[in-house]
Amino acid sequence: MKSIRYTASPLLTSQAPVWRSKLLVVGLALMFLTMIARAAYVQVFDNAFFRHQGEARFVRTLQLPANRGRILDRNGLLLASSVVAPDVWASPADVDADLAQRRELARLLDMPLDKLQARLAATDKSFVWLKRHVDAPVAQQVADLKLAGIHQDKSYKRRYPEGEAVAQLIGFTDIENQGLDGVELSLDQRLAGHAGSRRVIRDRLGQVVEQLGEEVPPIDGQDVQLSIDVKLQSYAYQKLRDAVDAQGARSGSVVVLDAQSGEVLSLANYPSYTPGNRGELKGPHLRNLAVTDAFEPGSIMKPITVAIALDAGEVAPQTLIETAPGRYKLGRYVIHDTHDYGTLSVQGVIQKSSNIGALKIAQKLTPQRMWETYAALGLGRRPDIAFPGATTGQLRLWKDWRPVEQATMAYGYGLSASPLQIAHAYMAFANDGVLVPLSLLRRADAALVPGVRVFSVNTARAVRRMLQMAVEPGGTGTQARPVGYSVGGKTGTARKQVDGGYASRKYRAWFVGMAPVEQPRVVVAVMIDEPSAGHIYGGTVAAPVFRDVVQQALRIRGIKPDLVVEPAIVASSAAEEPS
Amino acid sequence: MLTRLSIVLMAALLVSAFYQIQMQYQSRRVVTELDRARTQGLRLAAEHERLEVERRTASKALRVESLATGRLDMQVVTPAITEYVQWRPHAPAQQGSP
Repeated sequence: MKSIRYTASPLLTSQAPVWRSKLLVVGLALMFLTMIARAAYVQVFDNAFFRHQGEARFVRTLQLPANRGRILDRNGLLLASSVVAPDVWASPADVDADLAQRRELARLLDMPLDKLQARLAATDKSFVWLKRHVDAPVAQQVADLKLAGIHQDKSYKRRYPEGEAVAQLIGFTDIENQGLDGVELSLDQRLAGHAGSRRVIRDRLGQVVEQLGEEVPPIDGQDVQLSIDVKLQSYAYQKLRDAVDAQGARSGSVVVLDAQSGEVLSLANYPSYTPGNRGELKGPHLRNLAVTDAFEPGSIMKPITVAIALDAGEVAPQTLIETAPGRYKLGRYVIHDTHDYGTLSVQGVIQKSSNIGALKIAQKLTPQRMWETYAALGLGRRPDIAFPGATTGQLRLWKDWRPVEQATMAYGYGLSASPLQIAHAYMAFANDGVLVPLSLLRRADAALVPGVRVFSVNTARAVRRMLQMAVEPGGTGTQARPVGYSVGGKTGTARKQVDGGYASRKYRAWFVGMAPVEQPRVVVAVMIDEPSAGHIYGGTVAAPVFRDVVQQALRIRGIKPDLVVEPAIVASSAAEEPS
Repeated sequence: MLTRLSIVLMAALLVSAFYQIQMQYQSRRVVTELDRARTQGLRLAAEHERLEVERRTASKALRVESLATGRLDMQVVTPAITEYVQWRPHAPAQQGSP
């Protein structure tokens, strides 16, 4: 076969039209130009748009949530903390779970199956909440069901391990973890912190593969250490609860203060609520009565009246006051004592709690002097503590006082104060006449807290001696004496105001005192509202609570008994040396 | 000479390009690992906090008090209900001479 050389192929000898090759060249050139123009458009002219579109598909800004600070007691025990509690939601159109799976889901979420079915039936919606703040282990079980259309978002829930014992003090947050009441509200800014963020690129599996730019780290909220001793708080709450229930009372409050540093060691109220149960977060039991509500204090004001008179030099502890015949007419009013005590010394006025004696002592004083001392003791002023809604109480300016008002104020009517204010005022007696500011936060160095002198040292000690007599046999507060410790205190039984007048059978029982009486370490105020089980007096209703709380407060604080105790149980045994 | 230089540079360029791709891949892998470890750390911290709260809830004073008095018949301590323990240590051990 005869071969034909390539260059001699007859096909190549044929003449192609020139326009065809030119067309091809022009066509290719146009294509390249188009590509260059498009590249220039993408890379130069509209680069920002395309960059943004690219980032929108792969770049994500992740929120880095800040942890809300914890609330701790004075010994570092946990009172409030945030834990992970995911929110569970559904996209109803995507849910294909069968009845058994739905039943299991309803069981895990602790909701009726009908309710769950109703929510999942809303197929026209792309988002419905199933349950918010689900406990982490339960959320994991929900996730393990691997149900299509059921999703979870990370969320935090506030937990309060001590429950009702500290509920009104700590308060609570809303579902978005913002403080709504109590310390959670007053210290919200310190506790809250600031969320951070970081920009990342995620791959198609959702994994972070690259971080863009600088990360903004989250700033966690600060922990807050309160001055409260939770063991004492729980004990006080328990004793208060038992007393309120036993006396058929409406409510009660206990305040325990450190007599030297002014720290609040306990602030218990009953009835209380469970802060984790949102259904209970309404109603009057949310109020921290010891701080937010003011009451007429009754006879517990008498030691303050006497102290003012002692300081003014108007009376001495042994000065005699005539209280016979147990009635005293002042203008159109008649003031009574419970008995005709005859002639009493100033000490006796406190010991027997004579209204007439206190009134006659007050008559030796000017209204201005009384008002100035009341104000110096913090009455009529909002206590400077980190708590929302603390009441000022009521104390009118002395210029507006009528003579009868000055007289009634001497034994605790015509002015009002919260149990916290009363306990604080008594701190002046406990601290040799110096009033130290209150604090709900633990103080680093109590010795550095400057106080204000309200009474002289001698006056404070003389009043302490009178308060001690009031709990000894012959006094009104004998049930306030604990075992092993000397105490001093004053009973109060104040009639309640109802509809602008005083109710005949409604009372508030008070007891305020301190221990050990020679060098007090704690001041305790107890108020029980409207006891109705037969006893009404502060000496029988409130004093036993005082006794138990003081006993434990001193023991917990490691303060040695100052009285000789005859042990009820004495066992002598030899201890083995630990190996 | 110029051709050889071009070939060497081309080879170097290719090696550099492949190396960069490899490094980019490694970097992304490490970032993914880091992110996973970080998430795990946060998860464990959250779990620790949850368990801490559970522990406090189980040992809260009211519950302990209630169990102590109700189940164990214990009483609140007062100075009058006290067991005095007499300390009687063993005699100190004889020290041998060197």
